Amino acid sequence: MNLRNITADKLVALYRNRDLTATEVIQGVFEEIERTDKDVRAFITLMRDRALEDARRVDAKIQAGETLEPLAGVPVAIKDNMAVRDVLTTCGSRILENYISPYTATAVERLRSAGAIVVGKTNMDEFAMGSSTENSGFFVTRNPHDLTRVPGGSSGGSAASVAAGMALVALGSDTGGSIRTPASFCGVVGVKPTYGRVSRYGLVAFASSLDQIGPLSKTVHEAAQILEVICGFDHYDSTSADTPVDEIVKGLDQPVKQIRIGVPKEYFVDGMDAEVKAKIQAAIRLYESLGCKIEEISLPHTEYAVATYYLIATAEASSNLARYDGVRYGLRQAANGGLQDMYRQTRMAGFGKEVKRRILLGTYALSSGYYDAYYLKALKVRTLVLRDFQKAFERVDVILTPTAPTVAFKIGEKTDDPLSMYLSDIFTITCNLAGLPGISVPCGKNSEGLPVGLQLIANHFQEGPLLQVAHQFEKAGGFLL
Amino acid sequence: MKISEADVEYVAKLANLEVAPGEKKELAEQLSRIVEFVDQLNKLDVSAIEPTAQVVTSVKHAIRDDRVSPRTGSSDAGKTVKLFKVPKVITER
Repeated sequence: MNLRNITADKLVALYRNRDLTATEVIQGVFEEIERTDKDVRAFITLMRDRALEDARRVDAKIQAGETLEPLAGVPVAIKDNMAVRDVLTTCGSRILENYISPYTATAVERLRSAGAIVVGKTNMDEFAMGSSTENSGFFVTRNPHDLTRVPGGSSGGSAASVAAGMALVALGSDTGGSIRTPASFCGVVGVKPTYGRVSRYGLVAFASSLDQIGPLSKTVHEAAQILEVICGFDHYDSTSADTPVDEIVKGLDQPVKQIRIGVPKEYFVDGMDAEVKAKIQAAIRLYESLGCKIEEISLPHTEYAVATYYLIATAEASSNLARYDGVRYGLRQAANGGLQDMYRQTRMAGFGKEVKRRILLGTYALSSGYYDAYYLKALKVRTLVLRDFQKAFERVDVILTPTAPTVAFKIGEKTDDPLSMYLSDIFTITCNLAGLPGISVPCGKNSEGLPVGLQLIANHFQEGPLLQVAHQFEKAGGFLL
Repeated sequence: MKISEADVEYVAKLANLEVAPGEKKELAEQLSRIVEFVDQLNKLDVSAIEPTAQVVTSVKHAIRDDRVSPRTGSSDAGKTVKLFKVPKVITER
C-alpha cells in the first residue's frame, strides 16, 4: 500500500468507518517499503513486529467501538537521532552503530500516545551534520523524484520516506535547515518550530542552542496535527518553553487577506537558480491575488549568517560530541596506550570525515587565543541577525524566501567541497540562529520535474499564523505552481 | 587565517581525536578555507554588541524538582537490574 495519495485524517476516518484495518495498512506499508526502499534507502532500522503489534491494538479499539486517538494507526517514520526504547539509535554514525536506547524521546512518546505507529528509523547525515544525507555512516539515501540526486539533509531519510509513500508523516530535526532543505528537495512540507517549542529530550544533541524537532508531511494540515501533538512544555528538557500551545488546525482555514508578507531583498542573491527564482516570484503573485500585502524588507546581516552558524554550531558540537569516548556509548576501540589512547582510537574509528572536520573547527573556535575572535564574535553577530528579524516583524507578519538556492543536486556533486555544501543552507540557517519557526512548502517543479521549496518564517511562537499562511497557499494551488 | 598541519595536530589533541598522517594536509587546507570564509565576520564592528548564546523565552526553570516521577517510555533498568558491570577503563601508565 503506497501512502502517497492519502492523508492522516482520511486514514483515521477510514478506520472509524471500518473500511480498513490498521493491520492491513501497516502490512501494506512494509510491502511498499520492501518494493521501494531498495532504491531510495530511507530507512536504517525497520520496526515491523512492534508496528504490527501496535496495529492490532488499534484494531482492537476499533472493534470495541472505543474512541480513536487523533493519529490512531497513522504510520510515522522517525529520524534516527531520536531515541525509541529498545530500538537502535545510530544517529547515522558508526560510533553508535550498536547503541540501543533505554528510553523514548518525548516527541516520539507524544506521537505514540496520540495513536501513531512508528514503522522505522530513518537515515541521516552523521550526527545531523550535512545537507544531503551523503554523510551517513551507513549509506546514501536517494531522492524519490530522481534517484541520481540527493534528498537533501540532514533529515533526508525522513523526507524521502514521506515523498515515496513509505510513511504518512515523519519527524526530523533542524539545526540549520535539516528539516526544510530535504522537504524542499523532496517536494514535501517541513516545519522547524520555535526554539524550545518541542522537547529535545531524547534527541541526540548536535548544537543545543539551535536543534529543534519538527514534522515532515505531504500537507500543511498534517503538519499542524503533528505539531499540536508534539509541541508543549516538558520538564525533561531544561530549555523547553512554557508557552501555551495554540490550536493550530482550527486556524488553518482563516483567510489570509490583509496579512503582511515581507520579502527580504538579501535572499534573492546572484547565482540563484533562475527557475527557483521564477517559482518564488509566482508564489509572491499568488499571495497578492489572495489579498496579502507584499512588502520588500531588509535583513542586512544575512550575508554573515553562514559564517556565524558554522562557528556556533561546530563549537557546540565539539562540546556535545565529547561524550562519545568509548566509555558509555556504542563503539569502543581496543588500545594499548591506556584510557586517553582508547578515547582517541574510538573517536577516530567511529566518526566520519565531516564530523571530525566540524569537531576540529569547533574546538579551534573555542580554543585559547581564538575564543574571542571566533566563538564570542559569532555570538555577537547572532544578536545582529536576531535584531534584523525583530525589526522586520514590526512591519510584517510573515517573511517569504526560497528554501534553498537550487533544486536537489546530484549525488557526489558537493562532497569534495565542504564549503559549497555549507552554502546550500544559506536561506535556512537564519531561522535557527534567531530561534524562529519556519516552514518549507512545495511550490511547483522545475522543467526537469524537480521540486522547488518556498520558505515562510514567522515570529517566535507564531506557528499558528505561519501554518495558516502556508495552508492557504496550498489551498490556492501553490504546491502545483 | 591559515591553518597549518601543526594546528590540526594541536586541535586534534585538544578534541581527543586521532588524525591519520595522510589526512592532515587535506584537513589543514579545508579548515583554512573555512576559517578564511568565517573571517568575513571581522568586517563587522561588534564591540558594543551583547552576545546571544541562547534564544529562549519563557523558560520556567533550568532544573526540575528533585522528585521521582514515572514516565512512560523510560527504561526499567533501574527497577530490574541490581548493578551495572562496566569494563576497566583506567590503566596504569
